Amino acid sequence: MNAPVVGFAGMTHLGLISSSAVAARGFEVVCFDSDAALIERLRRQEWPILEPGFAELVRGNGKQQRFTSAATELAGCDVVYVAPDVPTDDQGRGDIAGLTRLIGDVVSAMNSTAVMVVLSQVPPGFTRALRVLPPQRLYYQVETLVFGIAVERATKPERYIVGCADPLAPIEPRFAAVLGAFGCPILPMRYESAELAKISINFCLTASVSVANTLAGLCERIGADWSEIAPALKLDRRIGLYAYLSPGLGLSGGNLERDLATVQRLAAAAGSEAGIVNAWLRNSTHCRNWPLRQIYERVLSRQDCPTIGILGVTYKENTHSIKNSPAVALIRELTSCTLRVFDPAVTASANWHSRMTVAEDPLAACDGIDALVIATPWPQFRALKPAELTRRMHGRVVIDPYSILERSAARAAGLEHIVLGAPQPVGAT
Amino acid sequence: MSLNHTHPSPQPPARVVVLGAGGFLGRHFVQSLADGDIPVLALGSGEIDLSDAAAGAELKRRLQPSDALLFLSALTPDKGRTSATLMKNLAMARAVIEAVQAIDVAHLVYASSDAVYSFADPLISEATPSVPSDLYGAMHRTRELMLANEVKSPLALLRFSAVYGDGDTHNSYGPNRFIRQALKEGCISLGGDGEETRDHVYIDDAVALLKSVVMRRSTGMLNVVTGHSASFRSVAESVAAMAGRPVAIQATPRQSPITHRSFDIVNLIRAFPNMRFTPMQEGIAATIARTAEKASG
Repeated sequence: MNAPVVGFAGMTHLGLISSSAVAARGFEVVCFDSDAALIERLRRQEWPILEPGFAELVRGNGKQQRFTSAATELAGCDVVYVAPDVPTDDQGRGDIAGLTRLIGDVVSAMNSTAVMVVLSQVPPGFTRALRVLPPQRLYYQVETLVFGIAVERATKPERYIVGCADPLAPIEPRFAAVLGAFGCPILPMRYESAELAKISINFCLTASVSVANTLAGLCERIGADWSEIAPALKLDRRIGLYAYLSPGLGLSGGNLERDLATVQRLAAAAGSEAGIVNAWLRNSTHCRNWPLRQIYERVLSRQDCPTIGILGVTYKENTHSIKNSPAVALIRELTSCTLRVFDPAVTASANWHSRMTVAEDPLAACDGIDALVIATPWPQFRALKPAELTRRMHGRVVIDPYSILERSAARAAGLEHIVLGAPQPVGAT
Repeated sequence: MSLNHTHPSPQPPARVVVLGAGGFLGRHFVQSLADGDIPVLALGSGEIDLSDAAAGAELKRRLQPSDALLFLSALTPDKGRTSATLMKNLAMARAVIEAVQAIDVAHLVYASSDAVYSFADPLISEATPSVPSDLYGAMHRTRELMLANEVKSPLALLRFSAVYGDGDTHNSYGPNRFIRQALKEGCISLGGDGEETRDHVYIDDAVALLKSVVMRRSTGMLNVVTGHSASFRSVAESVAAMAGRPVAIQATPRQSPITHRSFDIVNLIRAFPNMRFTPMQEGIAATIARTAEKASG
């Protein structure tokens, strides 16, 4: 069997990363998107996403990977992935209308023997209900893309979860060849199981983060320190070294929120108990407001119209995404303050706040401010020297949820350094 | 579920009408307006008995469309915990609704209570479901629903936690009773060992917040709380330390399970980011000083 030619339809984050990873395994890959302007930018290597290692990955692929806005080019593919990211609304509901349309277009363009693999984020029941191809030519594959480390996860997957019409039937040989090239376990299962497996992964992550957030909040009030506890948990085999045990500012990015909303909807319709989802969402909202409570307690309740510095606006480091970003939410909340904002990847929008200055670098955002919030844990913020902050800032309050500054150095520099899950100085919320 | 301001900056109403002007909060609020330029019509039960069948018509006669109407009247649990008290309280709300349906006032502010929440959830916000555990809480929740469903005027529902300060008419368990006991008897009696935590709001802060709501013509719902809860024992110890005489603190056999109540005040921060609450120690000291001053004067 010749090496299969692989097509990818939908050149947003998921499609770009996944297609590049397949090309890097030596397959010829056709990357299609109907947006001709986007394809032109991609051909010029102007990437619409920020992912460490992505540009190098595509460069290394050379002619193995090509970009096209002509759907007809998919006709030469043996396996076609449909991989646009599914947008979500404010309630976390996914809009699959665009995906459904694209699937229709791709089916029309594919040759009569090619296999389709749906890679996008879909609700359980979606793939079986498609009925656009014979079952043996239609698969669903779970994506486990993580913003900021997407290249690493796509090129070295832990396992493949594959939804099939019949999990007992062998996977179509050309599709199996693509999957097999990555050398990881392959887990075939029913469509519905695979679709729910994706959600199950996100539920486990949400549960872990909610545990960390809940107990970190308690730590702050009883003199315990979550940074001392988390490593002990990770050495417990039942929990694991890679468990999501870092407290944060609530769910963000859109994916976990989408899956929670999906299960709420499905459980309500099915009469299944899912009350824990409400608890997680409430916990998330509470954590999202952590910086606002800290600023009120330490600044707003003591001083009128303070100037606050905000470092980071993306929802996490190493990404350009601001979807459900806690930093953006905080900026919008601080209506009685003047703001100085810096982010390495995104320029803060003037629509977010009427009295906001965009700083050119992190230190410029600190000049003369009454308090600083390090809202996104960008690695470059770790280079900030607490003594330099003390010199530049007017006030001494540094709200640093992710402990970007070294805690003892911050204290030594005279900063009132507030960290998630750490015992707080007297007067903290 | 939060508070929204009609006026971006404070703007006095044409007139403030206070129902319950003879009560603890009402008296302090009316007093706070006395030096200002806002005309006030202070109505206590002496002027209108809201539980009377003719109260609606009587109130209607006194209202003007440009009024901000503050509905602060209620029969509190010390006046009775029975269904008869409940029905009387609801009749008072019915009278207010009857009047406001006839005279669409510019703003209606209702002083509700944190009694609408259950003790099952120790951290409360405006999003916490209202599950009252007694008739007093049920009364406030029912009044809230009556007003929200039957009144067209812009409506603010303020759920006050325990308010303390001089001139409290209720003598309910907490700072006010402790201060009275300390000054009069030299002994504070706790329920159990006073382990329960509650959020106590100093009267001046409650009045300031109420005034802000009136001046901004705010609508929606807000818990009027400080975000800091203290145990009854720690309150008693503060009172004892500041009473100016030796005060014993006595624990008693516990009659009911220990309950705690704390509040997430994010919505209050959003509504009034510069609101500054009086620390408990200062509030107790001021209450003791004012109480002693009144006793001597």
